[in-house]
Amino acid sequence: MSSAEGTDERRFVVVGGGPAGLTAAYDLIKLGYAPQVFEKSYTVGGIARTEQYKDFHFDMGGHRFFTKAVEVNEMWHEVLADEFLTRPRLSRIYYKKKFFDYPLKPMNALMGLGFVESILIGFSYMRWTMFPSKVEDTFEQWVTNRFGRRLFLTFFKTYTEKVWGISCSELKAEWAAQRIKDLSLKTALLSMFFKPKTTIKTLIEQFEYPKQGPGMMWRAVTRIINERGGTVHMESDVVRFRREGLRVVGVDIATKDGEQSYEATDFISSMPITEFVRKMDPPAPPEVLEAANHLKYRDFLTVCLIVDQPELFPDNWIYIHEDDVQVGRIQNFKNWSPHMVPDDSKTSLGMEYFCNEGDELWSMSDADLVALGTKEIGEIGLANSADVIDGCVFKVPKSYPVYDANYAEHLDVIKKYADSLENFQTIGRNGMHRYNNQDHAMLTGMYAVRNAVSGGKYDLWSVNAEQEYHEEVKESGPGRNQQFVEVQEELGELDFPRPLDRVALGAGMGVVAALILFLMTAVLLIQEGPLTGKTLSLLQNYLPGYSVSWPGALLGLGYGIVLGFLTGYIFALVKNGVWFMYLRIVRRRAERGFLRDLMDYI
Amino acid sequence: MAQTQSDQLNPQPDTQRMLRIDATLWGITAGLLFGIGLLVATNWLVIQGGPQVGKHLGLLGHYFIGYSVTFVGSLVGFVWAFVTGFVAIWLLVSVYNFVALRRHGDPSA
Repeated sequence: MSSAEGTDERRFVVVGGGPAGLTAAYDLIKLGYAPQVFEKSYTVGGIARTEQYKDFHFDMGGHRFFTKAVEVNEMWHEVLADEFLTRPRLSRIYYKKKFFDYPLKPMNALMGLGFVESILIGFSYMRWTMFPSKVEDTFEQWVTNRFGRRLFLTFFKTYTEKVWGISCSELKAEWAAQRIKDLSLKTALLSMFFKPKTTIKTLIEQFEYPKQGPGMMWRAVTRIINERGGTVHMESDVVRFRREGLRVVGVDIATKDGEQSYEATDFISSMPITEFVRKMDPPAPPEVLEAANHLKYRDFLTVCLIVDQPELFPDNWIYIHEDDVQVGRIQNFKNWSPHMVPDDSKTSLGMEYFCNEGDELWSMSDADLVALGTKEIGEIGLANSADVIDGCVFKVPKSYPVYDANYAEHLDVIKKYADSLENFQTIGRNGMHRYNNQDHAMLTGMYAVRNAVSGGKYDLWSVNAEQEYHEEVKESGPGRNQQFVEVQEELGELDFPRPLDRVALGAGMGVVAALILFLMTAVLLIQEGPLTGKTLSLLQNYLPGYSVSWPGALLGLGYGIVLGFLTGYIFALVKNGVWFMYLRIVRRRAERGFLRDLMDYI
Repeated sequence: MAQTQSDQLNPQPDTQRMLRIDATLWGITAGLLFGIGLLVATNWLVIQGGPQVGKHLGLLGHYFIGYSVTFVGSLVGFVWAFVTGFVAIWLLVSVYNFVALRRHGDPSA
């Protein structure tokens, strides 16, 4: 739609100034509308915001800018142009006072763990490969079946439980499996035979990053929206959505100047899905409100430390698996971008603690949290506690939607309710209770605008549900996955993953073998020479009663049917079995490849 | 049988849809293999030479009219072997597809 078309009477309200909401507003501005954006916080960016303290910039969580969505990438570069840096990625795991490369490298991991532990891990792996758990509903069962229990305990359990705050035996396997569920056997097989023709850049090796963190992006988008006719209202909390039947007609906003009301024709909300249903007036149905009570979030806080050292360690971030300390991940912001630190002689660290709103950690005073962070960075040995000269704390509520045992069932109830509203769409990570990355959140915003403005039929819930498993893209041209698609299209119906029908192959072989034996005998009988059939009659050593005669020809016909059938049947049986095992091995191998950097998704 | 969550997380090879084979393609492939095989085997014996060149292989002449263990015979044998291989495998595959279709419905569906 051209901008002229945006001059109709439609008025858009966007709730939430995070990546999803601001992307939606940005697209509306480009279409000529004047969206009103309401952000509860004092700053934009949502859970991808960048906080500031004494000219130091702190990225809440560390957000690499990498996407396979072309439109998202275009928007990033349209907004920030040359304000991006391409940064090398380095991250490690800290476990048992040692550092391990991350993504995991087998030799590095085994060397670090020692000979005996490596042997035990090997035995454990073999045991779980041969006798896997038959039920695979939990994250613990899922990873154990693929790595063995010992490796699960070493590299997955502690950190995962720190992040999610629940046992791995309670965490659904779904969130991990979701990442690779579309890893088809065909794709996995093709990946073994078709190598990429050009260099591959992976998210594992490098990424783009705004000079002053992701907040720089969202501040720039806010500026554009405000300059071009829209308005981003800060510290404006939606207290209720006024609803008439299945249409939302307005919002009431709490600001520091009191409550204000806005009417609109279309509403796009990225506020947590549990909150929007509670803010409906008249209220949402009781079962929807009840479902909202069951959806949970995990929160986190960052203790920001300013250290009087020019350099501490080379990593962008380090995963802390050690359970002696409470910190879960440590960010070194200077290694994300030198522009995050105003003074080259200083380094800024983000000590990330995963917690629940209101728990002991969350409730600690900032001074106590800074003291805790200072103590733990010294214990880990990444910095001398005495070099910490300043610190502050930022809290990020509802950072992670929790995928617990029954979340899908409850989410489905709310989803159906949200979909029933005619002019209301819920987007973003918390708006959809989906573990979306920044780019996925942005896509939901873009699609919501297309749905509202031009009657698009984009299913927002499918964004990030059909994730490709390779986080990689070619430097130019289509990525490797695209190559697979092209190859698959060229090959058309690839039959090899399908089994042979044993009986049918047996029947085919039986018919052909019988005819061949009969005809070979018959031809010789017709020729009638003194030595005719001398060689062929040797078959009687294997086929009792057979001879080069007309009765022998008929007997040969019977032998051919029986032996041909058995041969075909057994061939199909063995071929199917070998192929099935091979496919499983290929798939497991590809899964393990993905799981090497599983922590990036936790 | 209802699909369990474990099934959903561990997709298995599609065992419901049987492999359908292209009879003509397989027939040509088999014909070429048979034909080239006989061509090479015949000429291999011709090059080796000796008092009784291709005594046993020459018995194929009972079935393949005009075939002998000579260079010209190898060309005739190529044609015969191609036709024989094609017909045999085409027939085998056609019977296979016919039976599979009746047992599982359209195997390409």
